[in-house]
Amino acid sequence: MRRNDAVSRLVDLLSSLKLTLLCLTLLIVLVVACTLAQVNLGIHLAVERYIRSFIVWWSPEGSALRLPLFPGGGLVGGVLLLNLVFAQFRKLEWSWRKGGLWIVHVGLALLFIGEFATALMQVESNIAIEEGQTKSYSEDYRLMEAVVVDETNKEFNEEFGIPDSLLMSRREISDPGLPFKLVVRAYHENAMLSRGGGASSPVNAGVGVGMSIQPRHPVTADGEQNSSVAVVEPVLPDGKSLGVYLLSNALGAPQGFIHEGRSWKLALRLRQYRHPFSLTLKDFRHDRYPGTNIPKNFSSLVRLKDPAAGDDRDVLIYMNSPLRHGGLTFYQASFGKNDTLSVLQVVRNPAWTLPYVSCLLVSLGLLWHFGVMLKKSLAARAA
Amino acid sequence: MNIRWVLPIAAVLSASSCREEGVTRTRVPKAEATAVVAAEPSHDHDREHASGPKGVRWTLPAGWEEVPGNGMRLATWVPPGGVKAEATVVALPGDSGGELENANRWRGQIGLPPTDEASLTAARTVFSTKAGSVKVYDFRSEGEKRTRLIAAVLKTGDMTWFFKLTGDEAAAESARSGFLTIVKGLTPDAAK
Repeated sequence: MRRNDAVSRLVDLLSSLKLTLLCLTLLIVLVVACTLAQVNLGIHLAVERYIRSFIVWWSPEGSALRLPLFPGGGLVGGVLLLNLVFAQFRKLEWSWRKGGLWIVHVGLALLFIGEFATALMQVESNIAIEEGQTKSYSEDYRLMEAVVVDETNKEFNEEFGIPDSLLMSRREISDPGLPFKLVVRAYHENAMLSRGGGASSPVNAGVGVGMSIQPRHPVTADGEQNSSVAVVEPVLPDGKSLGVYLLSNALGAPQGFIHEGRSWKLALRLRQYRHPFSLTLKDFRHDRYPGTNIPKNFSSLVRLKDPAAGDDRDVLIYMNSPLRHGGLTFYQASFGKNDTLSVLQVVRNPAWTLPYVSCLLVSLGLLWHFGVMLKKSLAARAA
Repeated sequence: MNIRWVLPIAAVLSASSCREEGVTRTRVPKAEATAVVAAEPSHDHDREHASGPKGVRWTLPAGWEEVPGNGMRLATWVPPGGVKAEATVVALPGDSGGELENANRWRGQIGLPPTDEASLTAARTVFSTKAGSVKVYDFRSEGEKRTRLIAAVLKTGDMTWFFKLTGDEAAAESARSGFLTIVKGLTPDAAK
C-alpha cells in the first residue's frame, strides 16, 4: 500500500504542469547562461557544458575540484520528455476529438529524442578546398589524431589513426597491423614549442630534437586552434626503441624512420574522416551588391564523384542549399585565399530528419485540433 | 505505473556516451595522401616569439618588411606595396624529412599531386650563396585563379632552412624578384 502511494506520488510529480513550467524556466536560464558563456568558451564548448550535459559543473579558480552548479540541458530535457509522456498518457483523453493533441505531443517528444540523438551521434568536420583541388576527406575542427603511416607500398599508404582520447588515456598503444607499439611519453592539448631549452627533453629523433615544450591552457573560442604536442616512442616487441619523436600539428615537416625495409612516417594532425567519394572545387563565387562590398551570395560549384553510387555530377552549394550525399550534409561555411578557397562544413547526423518529422507532426496535430474546435464552434453557432 | 524501463535506457545512453575510441586503419591511395601532416599554422599574434637558431643572416631589399616570427616560424617577410603574398622562414634540425617529402607537402598545400625524385630534380634551380648552396622550387597550382609557391632550401651544418614565398600568381610574381634577391644574399651568421 505504501509502495503504491510512493509510485502514485512519483507519477503525479512526473505528469504535473508545475514540473513542465519548472523545466521550461530552467531551460530559459540555461539558454541565457550558455549564450553568455560563448563569449569566453566558444560556441562548441558552451553548448557541451550547458546544453549537452546532465550537470553544469563549476570549478573554483585554480582548483581541480568540480562542484555541481545547475542541472544541464540533458537532465532538464530528459525530465521534460518524461513529463510530456506521463502527462500525455495520464491526462489526455484517448479520443478522436483529442487526436490532434496526441499528434502534437508525439511531435514534441520526437523533437526531444532528436536532440538527444544529435548530441550522441552527430559528427561535424569541414573540407577546405582550393579551386581545382580534389578532396575525399574532411577534418575535425578540434579533435586531433596521431597518425602512423606505412609508406612502403608504391600504390597506397596504410594510415593508422590514433585519436587524441587514446593519447590522453593510454600509456601504450598497439595494433595488430603495427610491428611496434607506440609508447606515449606525454600529450599536451595545447603547448608552445620553442627552440632551445630542450636539453632535458627525451626527444632524440626527428625535427623535435632540442625543442622545449611549454604547456598552455587549451583554447576553445571559435576560430582559435590548439597547438597539440605528443611525445611518442615506437618500441619493438623486444624492447628496442626506434627513437623518441615530438609530434605536433604546429610542425609542418614530415618525420619518420625506416624499419626492416618499411618506411614509416609519424605526425599529429586534425582528425581526418575519409569518404568513399570525392569533391572537386570547380568555382567559388563571392558575389557582392553592385557598387558595394556587401556580400550578396557565397557559392561553391563542385564536382561530386562517387564510383560506388555511380554518381558523377556538378553540384552548386550555396547558403541554405547544402549538398546531401552519403549520409553527410555539406554546407557553405567560409572562404579564403582571395576567394579561391572554399570551406564546407560537413555534418554527419543520422537523426537529421527527426526535427522535420516533428515539425510536420506538430503542424498536422494543430490543424487537426483547430479543425475539430472550428467544427464544434460552427455547430454551436448553428444550433 | 512501472518505471523500471527508464533505468536500462539511461544505462544505454551512458554507455554510448562513454565508449572508448580505437585505432583506425585506412588505406589511402598515394595520389590522395599528400596531407599526412597539417599545413603550417597561420599567424597567432598572442604567441611568444621563438628564439631562432643562429646560422644565417639576410638583408631585405628596400620596401620589404620583416615581422618577427612566432612558434616554429622564425620570421615573416612582407613585400612592399600591399602585395598579397608573404615569405616565411623556418629552420629545422636534420634533413626534416627530406626534400622530396617536403616538396610534395608544399605541392599538396596548393592542390598539386605528388611528384617523384626525377621530376623534382628537373624542377630544381640551384643558387650559390655565401651561406651555402640554395635549392629553389617554383610551383604553380592549376585552375583559373592560381596560387604560386616558391620555396628555397638551405642546409647549414645540422639544420635545414626553409624560405617559402606564397601568394596568388600575380602577387607572387611581383614579389619573386625581391624574394630571390634575399635568398641569393644569405650569409653565414657570425654569431653562430
